[in-house]
Amino acid sequence: MERAIADRPPALVNRRSRWRMMPERGAVSLFELSLLAICVALVALPVPHFYKDVMIVTFIWAGVALAWNIAGGFVGLISFGHAAFFAVGAYTSTILGVRHGVTPWIGIWIGALLAAGLGAALALIGARLRGPFFILSTLAAAEVVRIGALNWSTLTGGAEGIWITPVPGIANMIFESQTTYAALMLSYLVVVYAITKLVEGSRYGLRMFAVRDDEDAASAAGVTPLLTRTGAMAISAFLTGIGGSLFAQYFQLLDPTHVVSPELSFQFAMLPALGGLGTAIGPVLGAFAIMPAAELLRSYLGAVFQGLHLVIFGGFLIVVMLISRVGLPGR
Amino acid sequence: MTTLLEVHNLSCSFGALKAVADVSFSVREGELLGLIGPNGAGKSTLYNLIAGAIKPTSGDIIYKGRAVTGWKPYHAARSGLARTFQIPKPYGNLSVIDNVALSALLHDMTIAAARDSAEAVLADIGLANVAEAPVSILTAGQLKRLEVARALALRPSLVLFDEIMAGLTRTEVMEMTGLVATLPARGITVIWVEHVLYAIMKAAPRIIVLDRGEIIADGAPEQLARDPAVIKAYLGEDTSFA
Repeated sequence: MERAIADRPPALVNRRSRWRMMPERGAVSLFELSLLAICVALVALPVPHFYKDVMIVTFIWAGVALAWNIAGGFVGLISFGHAAFFAVGAYTSTILGVRHGVTPWIGIWIGALLAAGLGAALALIGARLRGPFFILSTLAAAEVVRIGALNWSTLTGGAEGIWITPVPGIANMIFESQTTYAALMLSYLVVVYAITKLVEGSRYGLRMFAVRDDEDAASAAGVTPLLTRTGAMAISAFLTGIGGSLFAQYFQLLDPTHVVSPELSFQFAMLPALGGLGTAIGPVLGAFAIMPAAELLRSYLGAVFQGLHLVIFGGFLIVVMLISRVGLPGR
Repeated sequence: MTTLLEVHNLSCSFGALKAVADVSFSVREGELLGLIGPNGAGKSTLYNLIAGAIKPTSGDIIYKGRAVTGWKPYHAARSGLARTFQIPKPYGNLSVIDNVALSALLHDMTIAAARDSAEAVLADIGLANVAEAPVSILTAGQLKRLEVARALALRPSLVLFDEIMAGLTRTEVMEMTGLVATLPARGITVIWVEHVLYAIMKAAPRIIVLDRGEIIADGAPEQLARDPAVIKAYLGEDTSFA
């Protein structure tokens, strides 16, 4: 059998669709490498405390955006409740660390596993729900976690939350140097990115795309949609939970407003949507474009005129949406 | 030749509408069986029942000697039963080759191997020149051929073709008929629903005629062409095959 592909005439127009085509497995572009180099440089450079803070939050949010994308972009499970997984990770590792002396290096994995379990449960319970109905179920799940965190005071400290006493030490995952935190968060981002690329180029990834695009056709081709979706949601939740734990270790204050608000869930969904659903670099670009802008606007303009930063941020978002040809897909 | 598929008294009702009414037939290994009937006769419903997309109200389906009534589509696929969809259902955001590679993943262990298998199938079907293109640019006829490619990439024992000729030019119909005719020799049993009669009457040695959910004829094309019930139900009055 000849290699028909090699012999074929010049390619037809290969219009970039909103969702990217399957990449070469393991291929890393020059653009991605350059971006990584810039991030490493930013972490290493002596930059003022505030900007490092923005960097840290941006790295974590980029990692969570990538994690969200595995469920939302790859397999089509749009979720507006990912803060639930963020919070489960954060609260688990923090409670284990503060109350039971378990080092966060272990506590993070336990939190991530619990988050994965919650993710799998959501996918199974919502198995028959499609489109907006599934989205609503994720919203509900996040609300359940938030209300639980608010009211189960003995466990979570209720509205006041839990403080992590900042005793620096590697075992506690508390660092004096902000640069160390920045390096840790960048590592998290790089690992999640690598996992995303691996999944994207794998058999499982192709099955996810197929289930997203046409579940019945995928089913007729031997794919089990329910298992594919549940696995994707579990992976997404697992990685999000890690992000939550890392956030808790940096921020050192854990309360419902900061780790499980609807705004958080919305951000986790918005960043990949703006940056490019279904691609690996998309959520990273979304986070890198939006988060620093949001933080900087808030700090510079927050005091000038009440809500001015929100107005400008809203306008900025609209411009980004118009420029990028992507958005949340209709079902 | 062993019996590959048996359908016993299969019925499927949607409320008061009997879409498939007490249908029984069997298919032997290596057969090329045509299935024709007017629109609304229940052909696609029958396919959905056999392929596991819907459950019958009553009746049994026996495939490779096992009772499989009520199985899921992915069970069917893994047991070597492939089907095409009457209205093509491509993976809209993927390339043509990835659409086929997904099916090949049933047997191939790596994406690279799956893509190689997909290339071969696309070459057979005549879609090799658009392999890397997004499916959104395909014409209706090409989408139909993609359906066939995806089904064949599953390396099935039995394939259910649902109106694969619609939208094809006369030449393409001839090519596709030629391809379908070679499948039994390659070990693939074929059931073939078709409206493009000149193709199926020539290629299929045995044809079942469905009308209003019931089988009204089962035999060679020459017999059917003379059967008054078939002519009346499907072809209309005063029609002959000269």
